[in-house]
Amino acid sequence: MGPTAALTIVSLKMFFRNRQAVFFSFTMPLIIMVIFGVLNFDAFSEVDIGIVDEAQSPLSKGLVEALEGNPALNVHRGTRDEAIRLLEEGKLDFLAIVPAGFDASLNSAKVEGLFNANRPQEAQVGATMLSRALDDLTFQVSGNDRLFELETQEVNSRSFEYVDFLVPGIIAMAIMQTGIFGVAFALIQLRQQGVLRRLRAAPVHPGHFLVGQILSRLVVSIVQTLILIGVGVLMLGVDIRGSLVTLIVLSLIGGGLFISIGYAVSGFARSEESAAPIANLIALPMMFMSGVFFSRDSLPAVLQQITEYFPLTYLANSMRQVTTEGSGLLDVSGDLLGLAAWTIACFFLAVRVFRWE
Amino acid sequence: MPGAGAPPVIVADRLTKAYGDDVAVDSVSFSVGVGEVFGILGPNGAGKTTTVEILEGMRTADSGTAQVAGIDVARHPRRVKAVIGVQLQSSAFFDRLNLTEILQVFGSLYRSSSKPADLLEAVQLGDKRRSLYSKLSGGQKQRFSIAAALVNDPLVMFLDEPTTGLDPQARRNMWEQVKRLQAQGKTIVLTTHYMEEAEELCDRVAIMDGGRIVALDSPAALIDELLARGFHKAQEARMANLEDVFLDLTGKQLREG
Repeated sequence: MGPTAALTIVSLKMFFRNRQAVFFSFTMPLIIMVIFGVLNFDAFSEVDIGIVDEAQSPLSKGLVEALEGNPALNVHRGTRDEAIRLLEEGKLDFLAIVPAGFDASLNSAKVEGLFNANRPQEAQVGATMLSRALDDLTFQVSGNDRLFELETQEVNSRSFEYVDFLVPGIIAMAIMQTGIFGVAFALIQLRQQGVLRRLRAAPVHPGHFLVGQILSRLVVSIVQTLILIGVGVLMLGVDIRGSLVTLIVLSLIGGGLFISIGYAVSGFARSEESAAPIANLIALPMMFMSGVFFSRDSLPAVLQQITEYFPLTYLANSMRQVTTEGSGLLDVSGDLLGLAAWTIACFFLAVRVFRWE
Repeated sequence: MPGAGAPPVIVADRLTKAYGDDVAVDSVSFSVGVGEVFGILGPNGAGKTTTVEILEGMRTADSGTAQVAGIDVARHPRRVKAVIGVQLQSSAFFDRLNLTEILQVFGSLYRSSSKPADLLEAVQLGDKRRSLYSKLSGGQKQRFSIAAALVNDPLVMFLDEPTTGLDPQARRNMWEQVKRLQAQGKTIVLTTHYMEEAEELCDRVAIMDGGRIVALDSPAALIDELLARGFHKAQEARMANLEDVFLDLTGKQLREG
């Protein structure tokens, strides 16, 4: 066996025999995924309501304003076709269509309400809010109540559930954990124990060891992706629309990036004790602000702008686009560009700071 | 001296190495004959390890040249590494692999086909083939590092403080090991703090201090020379010392799991 192959196998054995490494790369992401998946945060999310104003009358505008002023609702305005498409994609919970002729003459104008059948609770909230706004409006105009009718109808949208959002994010996070923690701590241990020193005394280029270490972690990234997708599909009923090959390619690209960061951390830190805060300082903000667990839309605007450039944001976004929308690599070229830029930067940093002793 | 008359297998010529203002090795020259056990002695910081690391191709000298087995170390460090066996100070092996697995990896690094079982047998670790490296005692780890150094059946072996931190039984066991290697025709360069070890094992010793060699000869000649200068021990030597008492009471059997 050649030295690179031999050292790759050694790195894999060292990884899978290290309980701590296996915990951070497999057990912890699995536990988090299952807990968050079972908790089902759908129930607590904001209600997305669509409004199509075909009347464009002062009265219809008053209705739209009233709904927009409601803090419980996230109002999307648009044309009928756009709005129905959004509803069918599962991005709206409830859609209200205000027909032409909806004006102060108040002659039996029916507001159409369309439900997202997969989000009954949110849709119900949307419908209630709409009918309340209609009642208020009626009262203002005529002093009577119940002039407008609300006619509702269910639309079978594609079910986009929280787990569909969560699982690709968790895969991206797990790859980050393996890269930053798995690589940095393994290298620091080998360096402190003097294993790297002994390898350097052998008559092969020390690069064989580094390549073996990288290859082994890339294998781990692929295994992580497959296991997390498997559990997501079988246990949580996640819907994977894109190709597995595309996901594996993204895992390898993301793996390469976070392994470079792991190498850089091992170069900066003298010991495992000093590596922990550095690694956490890099990983924790990404874990919580790169849209792994919750959409970045819920972040303050400034943070949304900053976190858009986080390495994990690019990886989580591209993976999510593949799993939920069936995108190919070309569709996520923007994220790929971001990942490539970070990988190049971190690779050169890692080469500069890496130490054997 | 064994192999006298044959060309030397190691030639160090005015090796110098500084770290900043600190001159670790200062114009060190010596040569080692084939089959010789050559000791490098000196207090901590004398430059022993740096000297050995230059010869092993692990560090480059600022000036001076070194040849091992006729190969220029600075120009072809990897060719030198291929024909030597090293036991490094403060180094270790993969702690989650067993001894056979580690020797297999080193076999591929040295592109050698030595059988792990034979190498382990040679250092009395045959029954530890499946043990994890992390489970070995200090003495077993040192013996294992000799087995790893033998993977490529080297011409020259460098042993950097092979007995530091070992109990008297394990130390004596290591001495036997070194004698067996010499009997097999290996040339050995050994650094140590222990004078009785050097006296027991070394054909010649270089004593280093502050990066320079301050004396180089056989242990007997160095002692004779000191006595010739009129040296007297303050306390008269007895026929036994405390270590003899210790070994008489506890035996020479190795104590390890």
